[in-house]
Amino acid sequence: MSSTFQAGDPETGVRVAVPLAALPRSGAWFRSQSARRLGFGYALLAPAALYVTLLVAVPFLFSLYLAVSDATVGEQMAGFIGLENFKAALEMDSFWVALRNSVVFFVGAAVLKSLLGTSLAFLLLQEFRGKKLVRALVVIPFTLPVAISVLGWKWMYDSQFSVFNWVLSRLGLIGTYGTDAWPVWLGDPRLALVACILVNVWRTFPFSAIVLLAGFTSVPNEVLDAAKVDGCSFLQRFHNIVVPMIFPILMVGFLFDTVFTLSDLSVVYILTQGGPGNATQILPVLAYQIGIQAGNLGRGAAIALFLVPLLAPAMFVFLRNLKRREY
Amino acid sequence: MTLFAPDRDPLQVTRRQFVRTASIGLAGSSLATMLAARQAPAQIKGSNLRILTWSHFIPAYDTWFDKFAGEWGEKNGVKVRVDHIPHLEIPARMAAEFAAGAGHDILFNGSTILTRIYFKTLADLTDTYDQIGKKYGGWIQAARSPVEVEGRIYGIPVYYILLPMLWRKDLFEEAGVKPPDTWEAARVAARTLKAKGHPTGIQLSHCNDANLNWRSLLFSFGGSETDASGDHPTIDTKEMREALKFGKALFDECMTPEVFSWDDASDNRYLASGIASWIHDAISAYRTTESTNPAVFKNTYIGLEPAGPGGKRVSVSAPNAFMVWKFSKNQAAAKEFLVHLMDNDKQGMIESTGYNMPFLNDTAKKPMPVIGSDAKLQVLQDFPKIVAFFGYPGPYTTQIQEVANLFVLPDMFTRVARGQGIDETIKWGLGEYQRIFAKHKKA
Repeated sequence: MSSTFQAGDPETGVRVAVPLAALPRSGAWFRSQSARRLGFGYALLAPAALYVTLLVAVPFLFSLYLAVSDATVGEQMAGFIGLENFKAALEMDSFWVALRNSVVFFVGAAVLKSLLGTSLAFLLLQEFRGKKLVRALVVIPFTLPVAISVLGWKWMYDSQFSVFNWVLSRLGLIGTYGTDAWPVWLGDPRLALVACILVNVWRTFPFSAIVLLAGFTSVPNEVLDAAKVDGCSFLQRFHNIVVPMIFPILMVGFLFDTVFTLSDLSVVYILTQGGPGNATQILPVLAYQIGIQAGNLGRGAAIALFLVPLLAPAMFVFLRNLKRREY
Repeated sequence: MTLFAPDRDPLQVTRRQFVRTASIGLAGSSLATMLAARQAPAQIKGSNLRILTWSHFIPAYDTWFDKFAGEWGEKNGVKVRVDHIPHLEIPARMAAEFAAGAGHDILFNGSTILTRIYFKTLADLTDTYDQIGKKYGGWIQAARSPVEVEGRIYGIPVYYILLPMLWRKDLFEEAGVKPPDTWEAARVAARTLKAKGHPTGIQLSHCNDANLNWRSLLFSFGGSETDASGDHPTIDTKEMREALKFGKALFDECMTPEVFSWDDASDNRYLASGIASWIHDAISAYRTTESTNPAVFKNTYIGLEPAGPGGKRVSVSAPNAFMVWKFSKNQAAAKEFLVHLMDNDKQGMIESTGYNMPFLNDTAKKPMPVIGSDAKLQVLQDFPKIVAFFGYPGPYTTQIQEVANLFVLPDMFTRVARGQGIDETIKWGLGEYQRIFAKHKKA
């Protein structure tokens, strides 16, 4: 065993042998300034690490445990049953419908939120009277309790008293009540899923807009002005200057939005409970109905975990892009 | 070590035996005296009783219940707290309390009955159930199904909610059609009245009324959901085919596509708007029209469950029961309160304006409170003999609860109404039932 330690100068790359006796002893190292700084750094990180461990890692591991067990809500003990719950889920017709609907729900909502969020953010960038009031008002859908706001939408979609239908009918755009040309928003399988997506979009696109607005305001006006002088069009400025500069913010916004959308239980549960005939069934609602309402925790957890393969690739892509941009 | 000395005279009473026997006798006689005097035992004094219940569809009942519970608490030195939450949130709350091993002492279950899932952690209420039953002429036949597991009782059934026929007598008379005493008569009437702008509607969607209504129709057609043991689904039958065929005709001839979007309250609004010729719903739909549309209220009549082709009538109702956690430290107070509540069963029915139907035979005797003195509602007194719950003719099992939570039966009617073949639908439905039955551990 060598009694020397290879040390080097990071700038020149020259490595020299330093006798071990010349290094501070381990006890002394803990009292050194480097050690104290390192300790301080970890102490600052500890609350976040604890938070993530307790509120993310532990529940995730617990749901993994539930998914491979025959746990029910009424029993303290659960036996290991391997992948039975996953197999059972895959055998369910309603699971495949829920999986398909979850993807459609996510993609549809993401596209609409991107368009509406970007438009709203640009509108809010403009100077006009009452801008502060408008900024405060647009976030109301996001801040309202979900049960109240979705119940409001349920009334607006009501088969008999829908305000949309009555307005459209008076304008002559649809038929009258009781005819086939009277849309039943939550009763027609195609319309019902669209109706649910629209409510999700209405609730959360202000969040997208606020995130984008924060990004847009961080772009220095000088850069945009210079681009204007150089003859860049609005789309060129947006594509070549704004998006690259606010990319990290965009990614974080997408990250949150993906999680919010895919795990949204309330909208579908309150509007349709997955009906009619599973037309709006999505994975979180199915997991709740089986896991909590029917008491089969293991299978409910397994169904909920199918969200992970949907979320993980998206998270991976977002985070990798973010990391690349850091250097 | 032996319990008794071998040379002891079997007739000889030891001091210890004497004390034990005397104590039991004293406790028994005290309990009998207290029950006779309707007085709670002293040991519940100073305890806390937390009750979790739903927000009743008749708000006045909640007002009465809270006051009733508070007064009982004051009288017996028990601090009572009543929490009301929407009934759909109860399963999640129950799961949370179970996991925490703490929470309320008394829990309400309505529509979603979880006795068989939680029975291992629920207090055995067999004695309380028997005691109440003995006092009030026994329980109606259907009472045990939602609360019994392996011969023991884990809940006190407090009332059930009926869904009778609510029909517009004025419209029926005008069109010259018979009252909806049979499903066929109901169909003919709605078909005739739909042409005059008065269709009918039964939910073909994911809501509890859909689960209740289509089961009433199926069971009245002679169909069943499981065998008497509750272990095997029995939905691939001639009667099921007939019921599905009838359901399809009922939708095509008598309803509009609105029913695919309906929730539990949509048919109430349909009746109140004056459009519906009849609906199959709880009497709250009728009651609310008294203020919202008096003309409809005046002309709406209540009918017995329509008979199926063989003359059978089965009314599938929503049971409501109170349970007590085994981990509750106030079980004695909880049981005392439940006895007191059932002692006031008739008052509860009055406060609910006849909405709560009684499980106790004495309260169910004619004339019943409220409904016995109302000419239109008197027919409800004939329901106790035909009431059934999910799983009929079998018990209300965990499997059936999942079938109901996933709306498998209403979805079968929905599929047929949308044009899927009956054989294909039964194949799908049977597959769903079998899958659910196979995966559940039998409670």
